[in-house]
Amino acid sequence: MGEETTTLGTIQISPNALATIAYHATLTSYGVVGLAPKNLAEGLAATITHEPARGVSVRYNGEEIDIDVHIIIEYGTRITSVADSVANAVRYQVEKALGMPIHFVNVHVQGLRVSNPD
Amino acid sequence: MDLEIQARLERFKSTPIDGQALKELVEAGLTWLRANQQTVNALNVFPVPDGDTGTNMVLTMQSAFNEIKDLGTHNVGQMAAAVSQGALMGARGNSGVILSQLWRGFARALHNQDVLDGSALVRAFADGRDTAYKGVVRPVEGTILTVAKDVASAAELALQETENPVEIFEHVIPAADASVQRTPDLLPVLKQAGVVDSGGKGLFFVLEGMLRYMQGLPLDTPTTAVQPLSAMKLENAMEDIEPGQDFEVVVDFVPARDLDLKSFYAELENMGTSIQVGEGEGMYRMHIHVPTENRNKPVDYIMRLGTITKVAMENLVAQMDDINKKSSGRIELAGIEAGQIAVVAVSPGNGISRVFASLGVAALVEGGQTMNPSTKDILDAFENLPTDQVIILPNNKNIILAAQQAKEVTVKKVHIVPSRNIPQGLAAMMHLNPDGNLDVITTKMTKAIEDVTAIEVTTATRTVEIDGVSVEQGQVIALVNGTLAISAASVEEACLGALEKAKAADFELITLFFGDSLASAEANRIADIVRAKYPSQEIELQDGGQPHYQFIISVE
Repeated sequence: MGEETTTLGTIQISPNALATIAYHATLTSYGVVGLAPKNLAEGLAATITHEPARGVSVRYNGEEIDIDVHIIIEYGTRITSVADSVANAVRYQVEKALGMPIHFVNVHVQGLRVSNPD
Repeated sequence: MDLEIQARLERFKSTPIDGQALKELVEAGLTWLRANQQTVNALNVFPVPDGDTGTNMVLTMQSAFNEIKDLGTHNVGQMAAAVSQGALMGARGNSGVILSQLWRGFARALHNQDVLDGSALVRAFADGRDTAYKGVVRPVEGTILTVAKDVASAAELALQETENPVEIFEHVIPAADASVQRTPDLLPVLKQAGVVDSGGKGLFFVLEGMLRYMQGLPLDTPTTAVQPLSAMKLENAMEDIEPGQDFEVVVDFVPARDLDLKSFYAELENMGTSIQVGEGEGMYRMHIHVPTENRNKPVDYIMRLGTITKVAMENLVAQMDDINKKSSGRIELAGIEAGQIAVVAVSPGNGISRVFASLGVAALVEGGQTMNPSTKDILDAFENLPTDQVIILPNNKNIILAAQQAKEVTVKKVHIVPSRNIPQGLAAMMHLNPDGNLDVITTKMTKAIEDVTAIEVTTATRTVEIDGVSVEQGQVIALVNGTLAISAASVEEACLGALEKAKAADFELITLFFGDSLASAEANRIADIVRAKYPSQEIELQDGGQPHYQFIISVE
């Protein structure tokens, strides 16, 4: 996918590599208490294959790279702010590592975790 | 010391903190943080688009304070709960969210408490820390979280010596400061950038503001600022050259004994302006703008204080000319290959041209409200491009006609996306794909211009009444999508009024392009007002450089 041609040859970066970067950027974002599989099938697949980047999907249509992250947020935080921060952190970290622009980072809030009921 | 301050000191020392006193402390924390907002902003490491840490934290604290401003309760638990609620609602950015979690834990510990005594304060700090740490899977140390942790530990230690909240604060503040200074050791990215953590510093200012208030110290003037070397923004300092301050002098030196900053600053202020002092690894760097005849004075003066290691002196006037020349020529247009779609955009100002260029425009034509480009100008812009597929963005309703004429006289395949203003043009550019089908892309772009609301703020050139709005010459007016919407006495009033008419609260992104008649400080001030008014919208401020219009605002 992410492809760059140098004088020495071609550099290819797999979606999985990007997903791993996005995964770590997401987990260190404040307010995120976990990532969630998009659906049951993906959850099962991730468990079986020990997929390193559960809850992150990367799409590349030949021109643009889109990243989707599915997160669980701590109850009692402002969801829009947390989601914004995740989108920023993912975009920043991936673009920094990749040197290519990311088209969209979509953040899906799959659930809330209640650890401190007020 | 005046009587009121004396009385306040006595009150905080002798009576436990009740709800109203907590309100005063929150306001003090907010005020002090705001006074030091720029210092915190200067520490930003990540170039994130959701705003600066200092600004985000101020807005979060502001929202917390708004919630309690009119609350009359003397119960400290209820007051803290309201603070927590307000901080949650207004939390912006990472640091804002963490700050709101600290308040949430703080408030939980005070649930059902009438007053805040020493042990309750310590519990509240601890609960704040615990709550904040629960909000993240992998806490990053060397951030505001670490500072909150060290604050809680320092408070616990202090409780062994005293039960008095003021005295606990007196122990906590130095610990918070030390914790902030340690952040670069915990987080390599801070060390690389040569800064301390911005969020941690912000939390420090909130707490220090509270203590300063209890001690009767002023909250309006930031402490004499010594910043890390890397935070010295010398490029920005170039922008505020005052007449007569022709030379920039930068001196690196190692003082012979501890530097008395107050008298140092006072002495420098006699010589020139734009004074900045930075410190790093035992060395100081001083930056100043001075008139020609004073150019050697700072060097002579500092020579007496210690050892000078380096002196740099520049003639600013000569340099500024250089910079101006460079910045106007620096726009890089998208390269176009045969068969691709080239977009030609009409732009009224340098900043806006740059934005268009970054979005992939292949050719720019200078023009706007009072200087409509001719058909030939537009034709010249695309005739030499190596493609025969062209889209024109006129970006002004008076230029659409010239664009159509250009289409008639060329053999190239030209489509016009009838953008009537800059925001429409920019919105259309979002849908450009140079390799796409010309008809499809044109349809997409034309559709996109309907999705954006454009506000133009300008000064009325004559007295008139249109669309039911009466305007006097010299008043500031705002047009929403080309229709006169409001007349006002000031630019900010016009902006706010027009944003309200445009129902900006229902949209997500507000971009403000400020024109060449507005200083960037003034534009920033207005942007901050807009930010405060629309806390849940993303606000972007860009230097548009357009003439006549103080602001062009896009709402989408």
